[in-house]
Amino acid sequence: MTEDNLKNLLQKADRTAGPPEPVSMKLSDIRRRANHRRILYFKVPVAAAAIILIAIGIRIVSIKTQPPDQQEKIASLEAQIKQLQVSTDAAVSLIHEVLEAEQRQNRLNELEVQLASIPDPLEEVQKQVDKTAFILIYQADRMYLELNQTESAVETYKRVIQLFPENQWAKVARERLAQIKENQSGKTDLKGDSKWKLQNV
Amino acid sequence: MPTCESNISVMAETINDELLVEQFSKGNESAFESIVELYSADVAALANRLLGWPSDVEDITQDVFLAAFLGLKKFRRDCSIKTWLFTITINKCRSYRHKWKLRKSRTIPIPKSFDQAQDGKSIGMRLSPAGAHSELMEEETFERVRDAIAALPAKYREAVVLRYLQELPTEEICRISGISKNTLQVRLSRARERLKLDLAELMEK
Repeated sequence: MTEDNLKNLLQKADRTAGPPEPVSMKLSDIRRRANHRRILYFKVPVAAAAIILIAIGIRIVSIKTQPPDQQEKIASLEAQIKQLQVSTDAAVSLIHEVLEAEQRQNRLNELEVQLASIPDPLEEVQKQVDKTAFILIYQADRMYLELNQTESAVETYKRVIQLFPENQWAKVARERLAQIKENQSGKTDLKGDSKWKLQNV
Repeated sequence: MPTCESNISVMAETINDELLVEQFSKGNESAFESIVELYSADVAALANRLLGWPSDVEDITQDVFLAAFLGLKKFRRDCSIKTWLFTITINKCRSYRHKWKLRKSRTIPIPKSFDQAQDGKSIGMRLSPAGAHSELMEEETFERVRDAIAALPAKYREAVVLRYLQELPTEEICRISGISKNTLQVRLSRARERLKLDLAELMEK
């Protein structure tokens, strides 16, 4: 049987069945069915929700209307639960306090470490003062011993004494001045003295 | 080869469809009445064939147009309204098959010649017994053919109905059924094989 023969046979069978019964449809019918469907999709879930809520309400009411001994048991259990809750809350708050104290201590330790790493400014200033005074003494020594600039050397020693009177190098400056004075008076030749060794930086 | 006239008619139908959809989108629901008038017969005929010729397809046809009414504003216009309605019809028929029981009409329909009996003429004078017998045999044959189609698996039956009875082009069948051309050809081939097996006895006669 060829495809065309089969097709003809099928079409004849279809024709002999006749057309379907006429369908009468009006837009109003379709619109009514559409509205009905929308209402169904809304009302059914709402009704289901209402039934569930009513069931929950009935359950709540039934719990409240239970016999007295059961209610007492429930009350005692509730009281125990509250006590446990209070003790739990206290323990939790204590734990929080301990944790906070530990955090504060850690922070304190960190700050102390940072503070220790910061150099003392007074010490820094004192170091700079010593360094400056030393440089002046060194310059004055050179002036006197190598450059033969006695007056400039004297001035420099005096400046050290004037600027840093309590410093150790002021004492050295005073000694230098005394020795220069003695030298000038011709009593001793101090330039060969080992004490006049140039201060090596 | 599509003729010039058929192209023009297709274009006219497309333009008409777009106008109707446009009007409906703007709130003119009477445009939907025009769509119902244009396509209700085609939808009913397709549903009738897909469900095994139950003849009463009012419910499913109304369901199809109800779905169309609710979904027309979302219609993407990537095909004709007819194709879209046929797609809805196919889907509705698939869900209806679970509910419907295909009734096999055992009543022998009255041959056409018997209609004239209503004019008062004797039935026996109109047809010889042999003629009536051949008419009945032919009706039984076609009923078996319809039963064979109805007995096909759904996807094969859809392909046979759309191709041989609706005589739709391949592209449109593929769009309606949501399948590829190759799949369609395979289904048609297997459907033909099954029908040839089921109807071999009739073919020999």
